[in-house]
Amino acid sequence: MYMDYSRYGESGVRILFGNTIDLETSKEIRKFYLYLKSLQRPDIIDIIPSFRSCLIHFNNRRTSYDDFISFLMGKAGEIALTKVPEPRSHEIPVQYGGEYGPDMEFVCSYSGLNEEEVIEIHTSTVYTVFAVGFIPGFPYMGTLDKRIYAPRLETPRLKVPEGSVGLAQLQTGIYSFESPAGWRIIGKTSIQLFNPMEEPYSLLRMGDLVRFIPV
Amino acid sequence: MIEIINPAWFSIVVDGGRYSYADVGVPGSAALDQFAYNLLNYLVGNKTGAPVLEVMGNEFSIRLNSEMTCAITGAQVTAYIDDKPITPWVSFTAHKGSTLRVKEVVEGFRYYVGFSGLMEVDRVIGSYSTNLECRFGGFRGRPLIKGDRIVLKGPKVIGERFVPGEVVPLMEPPHVLRILQGPESHYFTPETINRLFEKKEHSWYIVSSKSNRTGIRLEGKPLLFKKGMDKSIISEGILPGTIQIPGDGLPILMLNERTIGGYARLGIVAKVDQDRLAHLKPKDKVLFQLIGIDEAERLWQQKVELFYRTLPQ
Repeated sequence: MYMDYSRYGESGVRILFGNTIDLETSKEIRKFYLYLKSLQRPDIIDIIPSFRSCLIHFNNRRTSYDDFISFLMGKAGEIALTKVPEPRSHEIPVQYGGEYGPDMEFVCSYSGLNEEEVIEIHTSTVYTVFAVGFIPGFPYMGTLDKRIYAPRLETPRLKVPEGSVGLAQLQTGIYSFESPAGWRIIGKTSIQLFNPMEEPYSLLRMGDLVRFIPV
Repeated sequence: MIEIINPAWFSIVVDGGRYSYADVGVPGSAALDQFAYNLLNYLVGNKTGAPVLEVMGNEFSIRLNSEMTCAITGAQVTAYIDDKPITPWVSFTAHKGSTLRVKEVVEGFRYYVGFSGLMEVDRVIGSYSTNLECRFGGFRGRPLIKGDRIVLKGPKVIGERFVPGEVVPLMEPPHVLRILQGPESHYFTPETINRLFEKKEHSWYIVSSKSNRTGIRLEGKPLLFKKGMDKSIISEGILPGTIQIPGDGLPILMLNERTIGGYARLGIVAKVDQDRLAHLKPKDKVLFQLIGIDEAERLWQQKVELFYRTLPQ
């Protein structure tokens, strides 16, 4: 397993697992992230897993960087052998097009497909959540079928409603809150992705599998 | 009870930050000047982690409906309790029914107002800080407006406490930010990097009025990417103080509201200077100075010692 660590500011360790977006790298990162999280170490403030790296925010007043790195390296063998739970699967109902998907028309003309075909393609892939972030609960998911590839908006919208489902290049995501958005919006779900009042807060976690269901 | 008469330009409830859930995108949303925040809680005799108000702008005004000890830290301000001038970074006692008014910000940008006792505000995902974008935490997840009333649990009067003058940080521009190298610093041409640290006219940046609590945008000479280098990265984790360079080459200093970013990370503001980011206001001059990790740790250690020296033993 490829694992390259470097320091990120005084209290960050960035562990790079690869340089591309692919499922194998993502699985390694997930295993590492879940293992590290399960230790509940008081010197770990936050862990941010994403497409090709894990950024660990550690408390450098409790543990020095060198000690923290030796701890991580000492665990490498154990991490390789560790078994992690199977990813959870979710079905997300989506209303496509019309007022819910202001960019559906663009995606159709860009791809040369009609709306039914775009929906058919978007709903026939089981997506992997590569990272959760940007706003709480927002899943960066892939990999999108190349036939419905869409570039980002040149000028992001100032506001899209909560639940908006978007595309950007070979990714798809769901706006968990009303927010500014640079992705092409093709539909909307009524499922709540993030509830700050109830643990574990986020419906989706890194590594989860998602399938969209047209309604 | 605290009643908002005038929230000034912008005021929100903040604390030490919201942690442990960055893996699902929950940002820290912490008080931007942690030094001022922590000393404020000391001045009013509250526990570490208690909520306070973070305010920007002149003419902030509140009515205090019980007797209590209060204090103001952060930016240097002129302030009055009724008609009596008060000194920032020194606690004072407000009588029942008195009005606290911050007339003007003299130096710096954000100031912090705290009270002896616990403000009854929303504690969400382990923090009182307001997440403005998602509208949770703090006072109903939003900035304060005229007429808001915050209940203060257990208001009390404690003896006067002060922060010695030599400990009060300077906030006057130009702001010299010491930074550490970031993971994508090699994305930029050596000339552009040298120019950034030359401390000449062309090395200066100006704080843009398009800045907000998510990021401070800088205007000046765009940084040049090496030929053929990608202008974005595969989105990845970031920490507060990360300096991102989007395609237009103009730096954005990320504050405490994002866990993931997609732009090249030129550097990270050293912890010793992160509190200073709270005081970068539009039109201020900013200069960068590259330092190594050992120096950054030494400077941070000094700052931590300074903080603890201020507290009574």
